[in-house]
Formats: sequence, structure tokens, C-alpha cells
Amino acid sequence: MTSVAVGHEELHTGPGQSPRGWRRLLAPGWLRVPWMTALFFGIGLGITLLIRWVEGWPPLWDWQVITTVELAAVPFGFLAGLGGFDYWAGYAIGSPTRPDDHSGHGAHSWRDYFRVNTDHKVIGIQYLTTTIFFFVAAGLMAMIMRAELARPGMQFVGNQVFNELFSVHAALMIFLFIIPAFAGLGNFVIPLMIGAPDMAFPRLNALSFWLLPVAGLMMLSSFLVPGFGCGWTGYAPLCSTHQELGAVFFNMGVQWAGASSIMTALNFLVTIITMRAPGMTFWRLPLLVWANFTTSLLVVIATPFIAGSQFMTMFDHIMHTNFFNYEAGGYVLGYQHIFWFYSHPAVYIMMLPGFGIVSEVISTFARKPIFGYRLMALSLMAILVLGFSVWAHHMFVSGMAPWLRVPMMVTSVVIAVPTGIKVFSWLATLWEGKLNFSTPMLFALGFVSMFVIGGLSGIYLAAVPIDIHVSDTYFVVAHIHYVLFGGSLFTIFAGIYYWFPKMTGRMYNEKLGKLHFWLTFIGFNATFFPMHYLGIQGMPRRVSDYAPRFADLNFFISIASFFLGASTLVFLYNMIVSWVRGEPAPANPWRANTIEWQVSSPPPIFNFDEVPQVVGGPYEYGVPGARHAVFNGDRVVEEEEVKA
Amino acid sequence: MRLVAVGLGAAAVATAVALFVPWLPTPASKQADRIDFVFWFVTVICIAIFALVVAVILYAVVRFRARPDDDSDGAPIHGHTGLEIAWTAVPAILVTAIAVVSAVALAQNDRLPKKHIRVNVTAQQFAWTFQYPASKGLTTSSLRLPLGEAVELKMQSKDVIHSFWVPQFGQKQDVVPGITTRLVITPKRLGTYPVVCTELCGEGHALMRSQAIVMKPAAFAAWVKAAQQAAAKASGGAAGGGPGLAVFNNQGCSACHTFKPAGSSATTGPDLDNLAADAQRAGQPLDAFVRESIIDPNAYIEKGYQPNIMPRTFKSLPKQQLDALVQFLTGAK
Repeated sequence: MTSVAVGHEELHTGPGQSPRGWRRLLAPGWLRVPWMTALFFGIGLGITLLIRWVEGWPPLWDWQVITTVELAAVPFGFLAGLGGFDYWAGYAIGSPTRPDDHSGHGAHSWRDYFRVNTDHKVIGIQYLTTTIFFFVAAGLMAMIMRAELARPGMQFVGNQVFNELFSVHAALMIFLFIIPAFAGLGNFVIPLMIGAPDMAFPRLNALSFWLLPVAGLMMLSSFLVPGFGCGWTGYAPLCSTHQELGAVFFNMGVQWAGASSIMTALNFLVTIITMRAPGMTFWRLPLLVWANFTTSLLVVIATPFIAGSQFMTMFDHIMHTNFFNYEAGGYVLGYQHIFWFYSHPAVYIMMLPGFGIVSEVISTFARKPIFGYRLMALSLMAILVLGFSVWAHHMFVSGMAPWLRVPMMVTSVVIAVPTGIKVFSWLATLWEGKLNFSTPMLFALGFVSMFVIGGLSGIYLAAVPIDIHVSDTYFVVAHIHYVLFGGSLFTIFAGIYYWFPKMTGRMYNEKLGKLHFWLTFIGFNATFFPMHYLGIQGMPRRVSDYAPRFADLNFFISIASFFLGASTLVFLYNMIVSWVRGEPAPANPWRANTIEWQVSSPPPIFNFDEVPQVVGGPYEYGVPGARHAVFNGDRVVEEEEVKA
Repeated sequence: MRLVAVGLGAAAVATAVALFVPWLPTPASKQADRIDFVFWFVTVICIAIFALVVAVILYAVVRFRARPDDDSDGAPIHGHTGLEIAWTAVPAILVTAIAVVSAVALAQNDRLPKKHIRVNVTAQQFAWTFQYPASKGLTTSSLRLPLGEAVELKMQSKDVIHSFWVPQFGQKQDVVPGITTRLVITPKRLGTYPVVCTELCGEGHALMRSQAIVMKPAAFAAWVKAAQQAAAKASGGAAGGGPGLAVFNNQGCSACHTFKPAGSSATTGPDLDNLAADAQRAGQPLDAFVRESIIDPNAYIEKGYQPNIMPRTFKSLPKQQLDALVQFLTGAK
């Protein structure tokens, strides 16, 4: 690990020396975590038991209820112990606070990555390492599933364990990997790209990161305490009235991950709106910033809906409400409507930041301006708006009102238009370019081709008659993996390789990077393309066993998936070894125009020693004399030249 | 020119993949024919778009590759209004065409001819039962349909959401507790096809299977008659299985269990012809063992089978029916 170097350490060290003896237990940090967590556990337990005792509700020790309460209380203890609330708590009780206290900012040693840190660069790296941990965990679950599916019949795990594997695999990949990995990349890059010293709310930013391990452990536990086997979609009534303890862990895990998501999105929005450098108009924003701006709007509008749906299932379960309990007049399909009203926009939450990354990478490595920059930004906005009008295309066979199907089909296929604009514009950006095939570029081009397949299979799924045949089959499994793996994950890889030099100050190994790309690209297609065929032919998804006639193809898919899983080892090895002893990176290894590349690698502790002045668009490659941003010194020279 | 050649090459490969792999199951219903038509309509459009994208990428990768020592920039092209309008308008027209074709096919697939039969479908964890209201409530565990006659399935669930799908029929519909959903199928090919539950419904979801058997109309009529007679005998208690057989069929036991007296041969659950031996292994008298296994299926799990697959709802059977079922299964007179 590297430490973020130089800067204003002396100016910004903490208040006084660190406490000694038993007082260390009171200082924010890992020593305070155990007893505060225990304290909050006790408070939660006490209140629950007291209420149940006073009201005389039998049984006193209802573990479903106690677990639910504790999953809300314990994380607060953990976060308070770590120091996530110290500043606000101090402010609230009137003790002196220093708004310019930067003691929690920046990393000087590896230890600083394990505390509440307000530096967006540290938080970005915290995000990425945490999400990659959960990516590996969820990937291993997929490996176990493929081992079970290699032959028909049951070999390694039982039906229930299998149901839990695919449920938790999806929940972790979606809520703890793809969504927060983009938040991590955005966290690191956005302030640098717009010329800001940090995010608008650094303490909130730190808190939103620390909610993530909490949510992740809960989702992992939903697998360890058996029970959460009702799919990541958590459909009622299977997941409400029929649920076991594990599903409560999922309910609450979604709440914590969702809260983290919303807080980060608010932070992005305020940062992008208020903290752009002088001259950085909206039409000069890099497309990554545009993409995260739209994504954040999606997050703040949509995420409360999934929070609502999970609260309602939880209430049905422990508080005897009847939102989705059909026996008492509840509306079973209501769950799906609310759930997909979030979860379809969530597809774009998992896709738009990737569009942004790919735009940066393709423009830089093609040495050309993005083709149709404004239409690219506007199509993001079009997807944002249309994204809220298509949710019921997940429900064509659900038994919802039949008249709703055709309008939802129309809006769903219309979304192909702005998406198509983006794909065609990337292709046009390649035209007449000077293409350099470094690893980020390979992943970006891999993304475009895979995403086209995922998008086209999306057209099949949007066309109602075809969807009726293939919904809930392996065709859908193939489709979502072409979109989320060939799509989102490829862009995450592209982004990680692209900004790795900026984040760590070291270069990754290019040969291993290319090897990783080709292994992933081949393994991915061999694994997921045949699934289209399985689905159309009649293999339903979410099954641990299947008809013998699908045996050969499933065996092939399992072998390919192990190959694909192994390719991740190349990535992990490259990242870890390069981080420790890679070549030192220059400030701008890709000769890119955007502002993050105009400062050192890694950037100074407060990003910019001088405020950058933005004077042009972000992708003016090949335009003689054009510049995106200049720093004060340069600016003065330029003005003098103009005068002369 | 070269670009066009690459494009045609990609299109040819994609077309070959589309044509030489037997993608769609052989359609066995009129609805599946329409679904197949929409499928191929979309496929033609998709092959064209896919070929275009692949051609441009491959061509660009080869043609515009920078030499290792070439640090220059590409041409500063910022956009082209005509091109941008074109690739907004053309896809919009194509997807509109897809939507129109789909909507027409959907409307036709939903239409129910005047002359049709009706089957009530009941789904529960983890079994299907089919009831023929026009045939005095005849109930079976596999779906039998006459060739060429439209059938309307009226579907209800006893517990969670299930989904009815026969791949060869193409039609699929969730079965949702609390509401009745419907599905129209017009079988056009004789044969036996799998009925698959496609909505995750719990631990035994992967095992929730049945059969759809399409018969010649005469054979279907004969089967209905025979089955009705058997049912009448059963409820009359005259011969055969007595009322126990009726319970056995009505509750869907035959969907999962082999039991010769009932003529069933399903293999999801243990073979009930061996109940005496199973009871011995469980160390219980036959009668008590059978009763317990119906009320609490997890109490004793036969080797090679898994717990939590059999519905736990049979404990709410009326005592009379439960007694009859136990009597039927134990073979007591």
C-alpha cells in the first residue's frame, strides 16, 4: 500500500496528542467498537423485551423480532464506536467543534484505510477494495452453483442451500459489488475531474462507506443463518409470510446498502452542482460526471421504493401487517410493482456509470473527441426519464392488469433508441482514430460488443409474446449476465485499470492486464452464450436440477465458468502485486485531457495546490491548441499572450 | 467496401448460428407458432444491427490501430448531425415495427374461441392438479388435452407464486395466490410435454413438474369417460380404491408418487408401493407411519429423498378424508 504523500500535514493534524491508558477506549476507533456495539445490542434487546413484557406479548423471547431490532441497533453501535457520528454528536451537545479539522483526512499509512476517513480518495479506495472482497465471495458462490449444475441430479448441495446460493450471489453482486463499485470509482474520480478539493459532505461520505461492510456482512449472514432462499427479488409471499430468519438479514441488509447508496448519490449531486471549478459548465463536464449525475438522480428517486418494499415484507413478517398477505386482503402483486419500480431503474444505476467510464476510455485511447457529446449527455437524461416508465416489463407473466403490457413494451423498446445512440456514437468515436489497445481500451471495446448482445436480447425480452415464452428461464440468466457482467463488470474493470495509476501511484502490469481481458472475454462468452439456448429450449432458472437432455451443455457451461472464475485470479494477482511494487506512475500515463490527470499520481492530499481554470471541452483531442483546464500559472501566461 | 464485406461476413456468421442451431422447441400449439414468428422477426432485425456493430468494431480495430511510435491524435470530428438523426430515427422505426408485430401476436394469443374447454389449475408447493369442470369435476395430476381444441386454463395457487409453462406450447403464466390468472392454449401436435414451474416457489421448486399430454379428441373423450367412471366408483366406495383414491387424485398425490392401485408412476417422492417396508425401517406400525407422513412429511425421510419437498398443508384435510386416504394407502379393507 502507498500512503498519500505530501501536503499540509502540519496544518491539519488532529487536536492534541492521542489519549493514553483506559481513555483510549473512549477515543473513536476499533477499541471503542466492541463495547459500543455491545452497548447498542443491550439497548435494543432491553427496549424490545421491556415492550413485550409490559404489553404481555408471548413469547417474551421472540428471536425473529429481536433479530430484526438488533440488525437495526447493532450497526449504529458499530458506526458510533468507529467514530462515524462524533462530529455531529459533539455539535449537537454543544461541545466545541472545528469545521476546518482535517485530522480525519488523507492516508499516511495503511491503518488510515481502516478508520473513518473523510478524504474522497481514501474512501474511493475503501469502496473498491471492499466491493472486490464481496465480488470474490459472490463469485465463489457461483462456482459452487456451477459445480452442482455440472451434472443432472443432486451432488454437492441440497435444494435449499442451492436456493440460498443463487439468492445471496445475486444480492451481493448487485448491492455490494456493482452499485458500490461504481460509487467507489465515482468517489475517487469525480472531485478530481471537476476540480474540487473533496466531496461536498466528506463526513457523510465516510459514513456512507462504512454502512457498506455492515450491509455486506448482513447479506453474507443471510446465507450463514439458513433461510434466505427466495431469490434476490424477494417476492412476496414466499419471502414475507413464508420467510425464515435469513430473509430478515436480507431485508435489513438492503436498508443499510440503500441508505449508503442514497447518501452517496446526494453527495455526488451536491458536489457536481456546487463544486465545479471556475469555467466548468455543464456542457464541459466529462461524460463520466454526466453519467454519475444522472445515476445519482435515479438513486435518490428510486431507492426509497425498494426500502419501502423491504419494510413492508418485514412488517408483514414480524408485525402482523397484511400488505402482501392475500389471506387478509393483501395485494401480492403490489410487492412486484414497488420492487421493480426501484429495480428496473437499478439496472440503469448499474449501467450508466459504466457508460461514463467507457466514454472516457474510448475517447482517450482513440485520441479523438467523443462523437456527438451533447447527444451522449442528453441520451443519458432520456434513459433516466424513460427508465421510470418500464418497470412492468419484468411482470409480463405475473398476472398484472393485461392492458399494462403493451404500453410497457412500447416504452421498453423505445429505451433502445437512446442506448443505440450511445453505442453508435462510441463506434463513430473509433472512426479515424489512433487506437491504442491498452487494457482499459480492450475492456471498453469488449463492453461495447457484449453490451450490444445484452441489449439485443433485451429486445426479445421486451417483445411480450417472446417474453412470455422465455421469462424466468435461462434466457433471462444469459441476458442479465450479458448486461451486468459483459456490461457493468467489463466497465468496472476498464475503470479500475484506467485509474489504477492515479489511485495507487503505480502502473499495473500491462501483459497480465491483457491476459486477464482475453481469459475473461472468452470464458464469459463460453459460459453465458449457451444459456440463451437452454432457456429457449425449456430450462427454467433458479433450479438445482434439470432434465437430462440439458446435461451436456450444462457440463460445458460449468467447465467454462471455472475457467472464467480462474481468470479473476489473474486480476487479483496483478492488482495486489502492482500496488505493492509496480512501476511508479507518471501523472498522465494515458495523455488524457481531463483534470484528474493534470495532478500528480497519486494526487496531493487536497487534490489541487492551485484551483484549475476550465477553458474548454474535456475531449478536444486533435484540436490544435485546445485545452480542457489550465492552472493559475498557465492562465496568467495565456492572458499575457492574448494582450500581447 | 471492406467495411461492407466485414459486415456481410458477420451477418453470415450470425445467420448461420441462428439457422443451424435448433433454437426453438418444436411448437405444439398455435400460440407457439405466433411466438416463433415474432422471434424470427426480431432475430432478422437483431442480426442486421449486430453485424453492423461487429463490422465497425473489427474494421476500426484493424484499420485505425495506432503504430507503437505514433503519438499523434485522431481526426477532431465532433459529430455529424445527419448521422445522429439517422441513428436515432432508424432504430426508432425498427423498434416500433417490433412493438406492432408483438402487440398483434399478443392479442391473437390471448383470444379465446367460443368453442373451448376449461381446465382449473391449482398450484401448491410443490405439485400441480388439474380439474375439468365440464366433466363433473374430474381431477388429475397431469394435464390431458384434446388435439386442436382451444383450452382456457383458470389458475389459482394455494400458497405462494408459481408459474405454469409448457415450453412446446410457448405460453406461460404466473399462478398467484389470491387471484385467478388465465392462459389460452390450442394444442396442435400429439405428444407428451413437460409442465414446468418457472417461478421460484421454495425448496422443492426444481422438482415441481408435471406432464401435458395432447391426445386425439376421440382418445381424450374415452379417457374422460374412463376416468369419470373410476372416480364415481371411488366416491361410491364400491370397488377399487374407494373414497381414498378420490382424495389421492384430488390432492395431487399422484403428481409425485408412484402407487399402483392409483395407476400413478411419478418419481418425485418415494414409491408408495413400498410403504410396508418403509414403515418397518422407520420402526412404526404401518397405519401410524402413513398417517404421520401425511400430516408431518419431515418426521421420517426415506433414504435418497429430501425433506421439505412435500407440501405440509395436508394436515388440514378433514378427518374423514384423511382416514380414507390412510386406508387406501395401507390397503386396508
